[in-house]
Amino acid sequence: MLYDLRGADARVRWLVTLFLATLGTSYVFGAWMVGLYAGFSTSAVAQTYGPSGESSMAMQMPPDTTMVTERDISPAEMGGQQHHVDRDLLVQDTHVHMPMYAVIAAALSVIVLGLNVSRSAGLALIALLFAAPWLDFAGMWLTKLASPRFAIVTLAGGWAMALGYTIVAALAIWQMWRPRSQGEATL
Amino acid sequence: MKTLLLGAAAAALLHITPTVVLVKRQDAVSRLLPGAERFASRELHLSSADSRRLHDAVGWEPPDGVVTFYVGKRQDQVTGALLFMRVDCQHGPLELAIGFDPGGTIRGVEVTKATVEMKPWVLEALRAGLTEEYRGLAVGQTPAGAAKVKDHVGAMPGYMAELVDKGVMHAAAAYRLFYRT
Repeated sequence: MLYDLRGADARVRWLVTLFLATLGTSYVFGAWMVGLYAGFSTSAVAQTYGPSGESSMAMQMPPDTTMVTERDISPAEMGGQQHHVDRDLLVQDTHVHMPMYAVIAAALSVIVLGLNVSRSAGLALIALLFAAPWLDFAGMWLTKLASPRFAIVTLAGGWAMALGYTIVAALAIWQMWRPRSQGEATL
Repeated sequence: MKTLLLGAAAAALLHITPTVVLVKRQDAVSRLLPGAERFASRELHLSSADSRRLHDAVGWEPPDGVVTFYVGKRQDQVTGALLFMRVDCQHGPLELAIGFDPGGTIRGVEVTKATVEMKPWVLEALRAGLTEEYRGLAVGQTPAGAAKVKDHVGAMPGYMAELVDKGVMHAAAAYRLFYRT
């Protein structure tokens, strides 16, 4: 490890703890928001990010002639339409979210550098922290441009993000605050 | 570390604020399709040629190639049609509901969603009477709501009015070119 988080000044450990708590809270609300607007199943994600909001076998190429479909709907269906992210909105989402994801992954990686884990485990954790947002957005773009089947990549990205955070938070909290054995220095 | 902190600050500052509902979609439907007892969704998957035609007309085409009209009916008579239209800008998206009467003129426009940042600007433009300017507009006419309110509002509300003009223009072109398809 590049520095020892366990042996760090109490103020540093307190900062890391509060950062992890704040990030964890934002992730809980993030998951809630995903549930509200996109969903946790591959079909819901494909509907949100796929072409025209359709889940499977969607019309990915424009038809030769304009096609019209008409069906009766209730007023409630008009009000509660499935949230759909089209290409322009996805460009905006990617632009807005990727820098923040990079900063979060970097901050968590700095914590990893201070954990008492092997070099390879550290490398793997850092890779996981950065792979998660890449998977998340790669899945969204592939779902839109290639096939709704890639929705699973976005789901994998979301779960990877949760997994990375959980591992780092659990290890950091345990290593920073676990009771000290006799002979361990305290600050 | 300094770069990291500056990056974090920049990312936070550039973050688009969350979306807020100004008018519920259902309320917009009841205002823009008054008297309708039944509703139908008419979804048009545009061909490349039609997308190009729309783009040539107003410099816009739906990103996913789909235009959805919501049609109101009473006793099998069409009472009007409505389109929800999104307009993007660097401050986030605006959503408009544009209603048309059966004769093809604009019955009304509602701004249904904006971002937290844009909301006060939009409300100021609306208080200046922006959406009144669209009532009765033929689908071939250029919307000029922004020009009407610009002298009575600040710069950003004026910009919001321009965005609403743009959304109304896109919706009117889609209606003019494809509604009868």
